[in-house]
Amino acid sequence: MKKILQGNEAIGLGAIKAGLKFYSGYPITPSSEIMHYLANQDIEFVQTEDELAAVNMAIGASLGGMKSMTSTSGPGFSLMQESIGFAHKIEVPLVIVNVQRVGPSTGMPTMPSQGDISQARYGSHGDYFPIVFYPNSVEECFKYTIEAFNASEESLSPIILLSDAFLSHLYETVDIESINFKIKQRHLKPLGDEKRHFTGLLSKGGIPQTRNSDLYKKWIQKMKEKIEKTSKNYEFFEYIENKDSDTLLIAFGITSRIISPLKENYSIFRPIRLFPILEEKLKEVAEKHKKIVVIEMNEGQYKNEIERVLERKINLIKQTGGSLSLRQIKRELDDI
Amino acid sequence: MTYKDYKRPGVEPIWCLGCGLHVVFTQLSNLFDELEMEPIVLSGIGCTGRTAGYFNLDTVHGLHGRIIPLAEGVKRARKDKEVIVVSGDGDLLSIGGNHLLHTSRRDINMTVICVNNSVYGLTGGQLSPTTPKGAKTKTTPGGSEIEPIDAQKILMSNKRYFYARTTPVHVKYMKEVIKQAIEWDGFAFVEIISLCLETIGKTMGLKKPSKMYNWLEENFRIVENKQVLDDFELGVVKNG
Repeated sequence: MKKILQGNEAIGLGAIKAGLKFYSGYPITPSSEIMHYLANQDIEFVQTEDELAAVNMAIGASLGGMKSMTSTSGPGFSLMQESIGFAHKIEVPLVIVNVQRVGPSTGMPTMPSQGDISQARYGSHGDYFPIVFYPNSVEECFKYTIEAFNASEESLSPIILLSDAFLSHLYETVDIESINFKIKQRHLKPLGDEKRHFTGLLSKGGIPQTRNSDLYKKWIQKMKEKIEKTSKNYEFFEYIENKDSDTLLIAFGITSRIISPLKENYSIFRPIRLFPILEEKLKEVAEKHKKIVVIEMNEGQYKNEIERVLERKINLIKQTGGSLSLRQIKRELDDI
Repeated sequence: MTYKDYKRPGVEPIWCLGCGLHVVFTQLSNLFDELEMEPIVLSGIGCTGRTAGYFNLDTVHGLHGRIIPLAEGVKRARKDKEVIVVSGDGDLLSIGGNHLLHTSRRDINMTVICVNNSVYGLTGGQLSPTTPKGAKTKTTPGGSEIEPIDAQKILMSNKRYFYARTTPVHVKYMKEVIKQAIEWDGFAFVEIISLCLETIGKTMGLKKPSKMYNWLEENFRIVENKQVLDDFELGVVKNG
């Protein structure tokens, strides 16, 4: 049966279907409907004093054996960054939703943005390898929330699910019963009955090894390989080839919805897994096109990533300040 | 099990010889042994922050200031387990102060042991939220001009509260109040005054452990049935 759902509600519903047992969060526009939805579900729910508490409580509950999630927007996501690195270090499954609004700082709280792409990848200090998903419809908000939980259980790492003010506040009809999905069960033993030590320090067998460079090198390599291995099971993208076009458009999230009429004239590649970057697929698709244009709601954060991977000139069409205009995009494409 | 079995094999504490943290760790082990319990122990960052990792239990060494919310998450998922936080005054009362306010207000059934060494010890001796007024530290070379924070009053801002103050010199009393805190049905906070020997101890002329312990013994006294503890009074204040 079809139901009218909002993007944020679909994220909440997806989390419940994935087995969410614990949610902690702090109110922030435009993500708050996720917590409103989850406050009415039969789970352990806490409205915390701030986002630092929200993410750390979710880490604690996850260690305690409950599938856990927190959700926020840019300012709160910035506050969570130190803890994201910690969750990678101690290898705890967790889902963190960031509904993007226009920054920096308090910025434009109700307006959509894709300004946290770099933050989602590089926001915490030190090296780490996050898995980041970004859906583009209400149905996908549901689906990829479930996949985010699955990837977190498989990789024992915090998964970032990106949305934006537009997508999260979008209402669409969705037939939930018709969507097929698998659920990954928890295999990490809950905290309390073993003799493990979870520490942010570099350590071996629970014992700090804070001056052991060789151990660090082995450890970081292992982390990288772990994420690469898990990522192979989550190669999410959409590719619409237009054989008459020599130009490839790359867009994701709400921007990819706006440009979808352009498939009549261009090829379109839409990464759903933004990180790790879908390198092989991108290279394969890029080879077929003379020109590549990234269209995104920031100053070129993902364009820079694509340029680095493909080692060729990439064009950028930016949509900033919360506004999206197909007409303007078309005009700029004509100039390219 | 004996108390020795609570020590994680293969790791030695980083704490200075004579530091009160050795006493706290040993007495906690004794108490766990007596109560036949295997709690989840969690610590933040700092000298005291290393405590969790020395217990041969499931333990967490969290981020600076964030161990109380992490422990609350653990407790909410493991209501069947005892959850004990052992951390320092800088970690719990400065960078993590907001979380103490709110987890205590939510009255989560857990025990927080704050070892108050009155200084940032591991980073070399800077002003902490509990540094006494007038005390010289690396960042207050002319002596601190501000009053220290009173953790007791923070706890007492709640309707229900359990606050105890002790020192590692009052060994039996320390064990007794920690036991009471663990048995308290709600959020319990134990402050253990144990000044850092190497930093603030040095500037106060109490660098030698024997001098420090004599000073603690001479200046602090156990009182009973008080509504509010004055400075240099050890005791329990609670409302349930």
